[in-house]
Amino acid sequence: MAFKILSVDDSRTIRLIVGKAFKPYECDMLEATNGEEGLAVAEREKPDLIILDVTMPVMDGVTMLTKLKADEALKAIPVIMLTAESGRENVLHIARLGVRDYLVKPFKDDQLIEKAGRVIALQKRAVAA
Amino acid sequence: MPVDTKQYDELAKRYGFAPLPESVTRLTQLVAQQDANLDEIAAVIQGDPSLTARFLRVANPHATCEAEYTVDTVEQAIMRNGIGGALILAMGTPLALALQKAFQTMLSLKLDKFPAHQLVGVNGEHMRGSIGFAGKVSGHVYLRMTLPSARTVAAGIFGCKPEEMNNTDEIRDAIGELLNIMTGNFKSNLCDSGLDCKLEPPQVGITDDYSTPIEPGGGIERIAFRSGNIHPFVEVTANPWNG
Repeated sequence: MAFKILSVDDSRTIRLIVGKAFKPYECDMLEATNGEEGLAVAEREKPDLIILDVTMPVMDGVTMLTKLKADEALKAIPVIMLTAESGRENVLHIARLGVRDYLVKPFKDDQLIEKAGRVIALQKRAVAA
Repeated sequence: MPVDTKQYDELAKRYGFAPLPESVTRLTQLVAQQDANLDEIAAVIQGDPSLTARFLRVANPHATCEAEYTVDTVEQAIMRNGIGGALILAMGTPLALALQKAFQTMLSLKLDKFPAHQLVGVNGEHMRGSIGFAGKVSGHVYLRMTLPSARTVAAGIFGCKPEEMNNTDEIRDAIGELLNIMTGNFKSNLCDSGLDCKLEPPQVGITDDYSTPIEPGGGIERIAFRSGNIHPFVEVTANPWNG
């Protein structure tokens, strides 16, 4: 079974890095460039995991997380924050909203995979013969 | 709502956050108090050889080596640079650490600091990214590098060869993300010290203008780096007590 992973980040660079990190695994990558788009994709696709940035235009990650957790149909979707911000107030607020993990940028692919692997049972893609 | 330090420390441990040097956190906290005690500030700076070296260097802008310093104690440097200078010094550390960590983790490159006065003669078109911050402290952070450096950095981030990196928008986005990473770490340190501020969206473009407008009433810190042929440099200009 291929997991659906939604990367919500306004930076194409980060979305590409996240996509590359999960490429060796059985995953379908979904993308959104802000919280509003992220919510729309989450409602439509019901991803198995959301990788969420904080500072984004249109709707930031904290607002998206708040709305996600207030939505009965979406609140069970696990979220890993991926952000450069680790200020105390932000981290505590986000933790209270309910996230599975928090990764501070810059990050290594294997850190992200390790954290994601604690949430979903990632399986390596079969190598084509 | 007051910040629960114990709960934060538990979360930081669980999430695996790398803390800033204690001296930087303490210095930012001290300077954030407008009635800061100068002796305490001096003691914190003196307790960290790296901060001391940078503070003395900033207090001797025309010296090319330590032997030429006319201001050679931290106390004298505080009188020369002011408390705002100490804050800008503290601000530079999270920026520098985040950029060095970004190069290490995203590019597998070791980025060394080198004396900013060696920047003299840098000119021509280059890529400049800037992010403004506003709140109790306001200012701008700049990240500059030559166009070939920016191409090499972007190629490293995207995992391709520099000669394959021809899309200027992609190069801009990569440099903008480096800037985001730096300033996100920087903002966290300021907010944790009571200097709440918000970041503006990054602006990245090509320019031949090396001048940096200094924030009214504030100061500037310049940090130069080198990794092989890549020579990024960072400037932070801020008015420490805006609010």
